[in-house]
Amino acid sequence: MNAKLELRNLSKSFPRGKADPIHVVGDFSLHIKNLEFLAVLGPSGCGKSTLLRLIDGLLPADHGHILMDGRDITNVTGGEGRGMVFQSFDLFPWRSTLKNVEFGLEAQGVARAEREDIARHYINLVGLSGFEASYPHELSGGMQQRVGFARALAIKPEVLLMDEPFGALDVQTRDILQNELLDIWEKEQKTVLFVTHSIEEAIYLADRIAVISPRPAKVDHMIEVPFERPRHEAIKSDPKFLEMRQEIWQILKSGVQV
Amino acid sequence: MTRSHILFLNVSGIAVSLVLWEIAGRIVGPSLLAAPSVVIGTFLDLLFQGDMLRELFGSLRQMLVGFGLACIIGMPLGALMGRIRLVDALFHPWVSMVVVTSVAALAPLFILIFGTGFEFRVAIVFVASFGYIVLTAFHGARGIDPKIVDVARSFAVGPFESYRQVILPALFPYLITGARLGLIHAIRAMVMAEMFVLVGYGGLIFQSGQELSTAPLISYLVSLMAVSILANSVLGWTGRRLAPWYDSKMSR
Ligand SMILES: Nc1ncnc2c1ncn2[C@@H]1O[C@H](COP(=O)(O)OP(=O)(O)O)[C@@H](O)[C@H]1O
Ligand SMILES: [Mg+2]
Repeated sequence: MNAKLELRNLSKSFPRGKADPIHVVGDFSLHIKNLEFLAVLGPSGCGKSTLLRLIDGLLPADHGHILMDGRDITNVTGGEGRGMVFQSFDLFPWRSTLKNVEFGLEAQGVARAEREDIARHYINLVGLSGFEASYPHELSGGMQQRVGFARALAIKPEVLLMDEPFGALDVQTRDILQNELLDIWEKEQKTVLFVTHSIEEAIYLADRIAVISPRPAKVDHMIEVPFERPRHEAIKSDPKFLEMRQEIWQILKSGVQV
Repeated sequence: MTRSHILFLNVSGIAVSLVLWEIAGRIVGPSLLAAPSVVIGTFLDLLFQGDMLRELFGSLRQMLVGFGLACIIGMPLGALMGRIRLVDALFHPWVSMVVVTSVAALAPLFILIFGTGFEFRVAIVFVASFGYIVLTAFHGARGIDPKIVDVARSFAVGPFESYRQVILPALFPYLITGARLGLIHAIRAMVMAEMFVLVGYGGLIFQSGQELSTAPLISYLVSLMAVSILANSVLGWTGRRLAPWYDSKMSR
């Protein structure tokens, strides 16, 4: 089995005082293939962020295992070939673009000159050359998230974990960044686990879509996306695209009613 | 309102008060309230004669020792209390007690313990500013966005490094605000403590109360206010220079 990242029966509940704990992720299993772009699609509040936090080791799992290339990394916090892009960007406001992108490299103890070269390379890749010295409060939301990408890419992760990275952006910016993400993904050769609640975004970006049913979150359907790469905006109005969107919507709707 | 409007109103307010003060001063006479026109002459005399500033800076130097100690101990303690429950549970009752207690009420006790010298003044200043510095750092540390701490964890940054790289910079504006609050209370406590033991600038103020004119007394108060306001502005300016990203969060 050549899974890059394997999730095996992951479970997580949160205690709620005297009430029964909420079971947010239940018996969640998933294989992510090497260099695949996999979207995890589900409605808001279904446990997508919790799932990503489990995978990144930010939350301890109650049960189950996380394997990277067969190596058990369950409950190891951060690193280990994982790079995370956050929904609300979460840049460090006291660091310039350059210093934000260098953050992970500093943690790894990379020497200053090398760190700066790597950071500049990724700042250039996400189209932010010229903004190295700017602070987050001087950048637009779209630019901040580009810094967020560059910061995650700079540590050369094998798997990029993305938690609704475009969820806080306006529609135009989101469309632009989707295309840039596809470009970067093709250039950089990465495995991507992309969480979203947008059906259209999942179809446009992903090779496969894991549709999640809530409470507790588990994979309800696995859908292959047939569109050729490189993809262009035009496929969004392709009848096949619209049909797929309708089909997935039906699945999500039945999940939501449960 | 634009800045120039605000400045105009500030200046007018001061001018009106000065005029009222002048009128009141001429009515009641200098033994009760010296008018500004009388004070200004006395003030300049005292300024050039040298005693006033020498005593003031001498007192401030001692004050800085107590205030510095309060910062060095109070800032890390407050930050740790805000991040670690156990530390909070251990120290919070003491800090709360220190904050609510009037330093003047502690002065007689401190004189018994420390005598009337340097240690006494340092101890009073320390107690007066410590609580404000700790509590501001505490609330700052409590309020740090957990998401930003998660970013550091996501990059496999350990707890110690995370404290240095994330908690401390996020705390910086609160430390500056705490230092400003603490400094104001430290200067007040300094004068109060010195009036108890009749030394330094507080002693000078106390003794000038016995004189026939209130002009020297008012001059001493004006110098003290000017120095306090200056020190407070310097700290605020330093904070804004070092942390431009937090300008909106910094109190002025
Ligand atoms: N730390 C926590 N403590 C308690 N409940 C939580 C916690 N984190 C998430 N939850 C709950 O888990 C559910 C799923 O949340 P989340 O993973 O953020 O969903 P999504 O990212 O899909 O919108 C929500 O009902 C939320 O209230
Ligand atoms: Mg979420």
